[in-house]
Amino acid sequence: MVFWIVAAALTFGICLVLLAPLARGRADAADSRAHEIEVYKDQLLEIDRDTARGLISSGEAELARAEIGRKIIRLSDARDAAASMPRSHSLARWIGALAILSLPLVSWGLYAATGSPGYADQPLQARLHSDPSQASVDELIARAEAHLATKPDDARGWDVLAPIYLRLGRYADAATAFANASRLDEPTAARLAGEGEALAAAANGRVTEDALARFEQALALAPDDLRSRYFVALAADQAGNGDEARRMWQDMRADLPEGSPWHGVIAAALESDGADMLSERSEAIEGMVAGLAARLEVNSNDVDGWQQLIRSYMVLDRPQEAQSALERARDALGAGSPEAGHLAAFGLSLGLEVER
Amino acid sequence: MIVEIGHFALVLAFALSLVLSVVPLFGARIGDSRLMGIAEPASLSILALIALSFAALTVAYVQSDFSVANVWENSHSAKPMLYKITGVWGNHEGSMLLWILILAAFAGLVAIFGGNLPATLRANVLAVQGMIAAAFLLFVLASSNPFERINPPPIEGQDLNPILQDIGLAIHPPLLYLGYVGFSICFSFAVAALIEGRIDAAWARWVRPWTLAAWAALTGGIAMGSYWAYYELGWGGYWFWDPVENASFLPWLSGTALLHSAIVMEKRSALKIWTVLLAILTFSLSLLGTFLVRSGVLTSVHAFATDPTRGVFILMILIAFIGGSLALFAFRASSLTAGGIFHPISREGGLVLNNLFLTTAAATVLIGTLWPLLVESVSGEKISVGAPFFNMTFGPLIVPLLLAVPFGPLLAWKRGDLYAASQRLFVAFGLSLAIALATFFIVDRVSALAAFGIAVAFWLVFGAVTDLALKSGIGKVSPSVALRRFIGLPRSVFGTAFAHAGLGLTTLGIVAVSALEVERIAVMQPGDAMDVAGYELRFDGLFPVQGPNFTEEQGRFTYSDRSGRERGEIVSSKRLYTARQMPTTEAGIASRGFSQLYVALGDRAPDGGIVVRAWWKPQVLFIWIGCVAMMLGGAISLLDRRLRVGAPAARRARPARPAIEPAE
Repeated sequence: MVFWIVAAALTFGICLVLLAPLARGRADAADSRAHEIEVYKDQLLEIDRDTARGLISSGEAELARAEIGRKIIRLSDARDAAASMPRSHSLARWIGALAILSLPLVSWGLYAATGSPGYADQPLQARLHSDPSQASVDELIARAEAHLATKPDDARGWDVLAPIYLRLGRYADAATAFANASRLDEPTAARLAGEGEALAAAANGRVTEDALARFEQALALAPDDLRSRYFVALAADQAGNGDEARRMWQDMRADLPEGSPWHGVIAAALESDGADMLSERSEAIEGMVAGLAARLEVNSNDVDGWQQLIRSYMVLDRPQEAQSALERARDALGAGSPEAGHLAAFGLSLGLEVER
Repeated sequence: MIVEIGHFALVLAFALSLVLSVVPLFGARIGDSRLMGIAEPASLSILALIALSFAALTVAYVQSDFSVANVWENSHSAKPMLYKITGVWGNHEGSMLLWILILAAFAGLVAIFGGNLPATLRANVLAVQGMIAAAFLLFVLASSNPFERINPPPIEGQDLNPILQDIGLAIHPPLLYLGYVGFSICFSFAVAALIEGRIDAAWARWVRPWTLAAWAALTGGIAMGSYWAYYELGWGGYWFWDPVENASFLPWLSGTALLHSAIVMEKRSALKIWTVLLAILTFSLSLLGTFLVRSGVLTSVHAFATDPTRGVFILMILIAFIGGSLALFAFRASSLTAGGIFHPISREGGLVLNNLFLTTAAATVLIGTLWPLLVESVSGEKISVGAPFFNMTFGPLIVPLLLAVPFGPLLAWKRGDLYAASQRLFVAFGLSLAIALATFFIVDRVSALAAFGIAVAFWLVFGAVTDLALKSGIGKVSPSVALRRFIGLPRSVFGTAFAHAGLGLTTLGIVAVSALEVERIAVMQPGDAMDVAGYELRFDGLFPVQGPNFTEEQGRFTYSDRSGRERGEIVSSKRLYTARQMPTTEAGIASRGFSQLYVALGDRAPDGGIVVRAWWKPQVLFIWIGCVAMMLGGAISLLDRRLRVGAPAARRARPARPAIEPAE
């Protein structure tokens, strides 16, 4: 309601402002040529000032005065000729009225099509202090986060939040939350395994060295932690030790109680034949890398492309080719250019040789 | 409610700008002062409404109101307050709103201070401003509405792009837009003159201050952007000939040309038609720049395809304004009277030469910027026109211009004497040559080009000083008279001197850095040290730091000079912004005089060390000090009291002259 009153007041106010000049009596436009003569008179004064300052000699000043004088004379002739300009029009009043009428029509019409007049503001602070039973999961998380922002030492708070993050796919936040809980209270197998799973999920399912270290720590604390055993096996599988992984999963299955949800997971892991997929994928990657290298031969200014190519060679474990790509890039971009320097720093971080 | 009122104000401003673009134009046509009289209150009302709308959006950002889609996409509740506010224009929709706000503010200035303009000219100018505002408001409302709502609102925002969370980028867009949009006034004046079919003297007086203001703001905006790129990207470069940079450089080049041709027009009523054309071209380039950047065409041609409404809209506005104004120019230019005549060797001639070089340079940059786009859209092949192209084309064009600059202010109007001017510049020439030789023999014997570049830089600075000395008569009259004359010189003379000397300082910085810079790259472990141009840089270690919405690894360094004395600390860091999982680099910079020691962290090396890039950048600060001097020159020139024009109706006595006026 308040919104409609404000909107109506705005529209009405603007209409009034526009009405004011229209309601004035008939006043004719001043002759614009008079303005021009005024400018020239100003220039004459300027010449006097410049002469007084010694910027121009009196001879130069005379010339300039004569020139401006000629312009004024020419203008005065034209002024007499242009004196008969068409004056105010009867149409004007109608056009003015139409223009003012168009204001509410256009604005209210357009707003009706694009606006959401009934939708109140939703400032975050107010939302966080509203009734919790009405709140969504997201809002509850936000409240927990706000609580932890003011009391970051609350390990139990992090314990609650961490698995929720993991479920929602906020893997980096989940890893931080698990790590915080371990740091503030003590590292337990559940916390370490949770952190490891979050790290692996953040790396698109790859069990990284960091993640593997967490699982191994967890197993040191609780040797039968199922989650850690599963992921350690997965790490072995990803490292190419398929047989070892198979053996570990089979051992794990033997220990599982009846009806455990892990049965399905392990069955799926044992069935998938990782090796085939891996070779198919690496063929596709080879093709892409070759294509990128060919494109860079033609269009050699592409710094991001070079960076991608060098990184790909390192991932494929072909450091010589990475090295030669780095050198080709340097020649193409010009030794000493900022782009070449950027690539050199990048190469160093991968352990390549760089001329210093 | 506040958000919706902001939305409504925007819609109402659009309706009002439609009225503004039609009614005063018609009033001027039939000579009706009441219809023309609508222009001022309408312009001021549009300004008030847009300001209200902008304030509403700012409130939504400050309160983290994620029911507004634009806030959700570009803000985060943990972001520091400063970046919540700057986030308002750190995105497409918000920055378009800022653009329109500045446009409305300029129109408001014309409405307030335009009392001494002929009534029809004023009505036409404001009407053209109304047309621009209408087009942009329609664009915002139809395809980039910042007030779109989400129901139910998400609980957390997606955060602002981390590289924009920086104080430099908080100031850069508003300054740049002040420049871009400031040229809209020159454009409106040009189009109004074409509509009326004549250019009067008041026109000439009005265009120069607007050009100056826009040019000074644009200079500042570009310099700010370049300094930001220098310290934020961590590459140590200050100018990459990136299409986005070129988009702002193009209007600067043609705006500089406009600035100079406007002087000729104001003082000598010559070059009128050319100035009108330049005004149209400059604003067209500003539009092109805004749109190329905003539409995303420059980063990728495909961004056009992902949002076809936006792209098509942009094209239509460009065609309507650029094509429309150029067509109007073609039809009406012949009806404008050409101005006075002059000898080729004269101040006018010098300014024409300046215009020739600047517009050719602008054309070169334009080709280099648009060519890759053209090739990609026709053949689908991606090519990039890099720095080598611009160095080879832009460089040779700009060096002769720089050499010619000091002659310009020394030539007389209408017919000048090149020989006399050269004689007067003899001292400046000798000093520059001496400095060049000194550089070559003492600092760096390798590069003769560096010595030449430094000579050019000093030639510009000494040339500016010579101009001031000659105009105040130093050496000809007694020192006390000369001092009095010096103080009494018109401010525009100081403005010229500052701007030309600033150009020299910028050249000095660019030449010194490109020729004498030292770069080192190394993998460093804590405790390692390396030598950078005589300074010893020791790496103390990496320290994790938690920021409000980012985590960072700070690399701390200590540096000491040749004598082994410790000079200070440098902190260089790598940040990870958690909401977007986006890394940024924060270069560590220590200034020694006008030179800087610049340290950027790279990635970690396999052996546990970290890659460190360090530069010694001699005299690098002059690049931006020169830009500040140019801006200052513009501001001083803007304050010149001679720009006032008295209105014919009021024949009051002029205010008394200041007492410093000599009594000769």
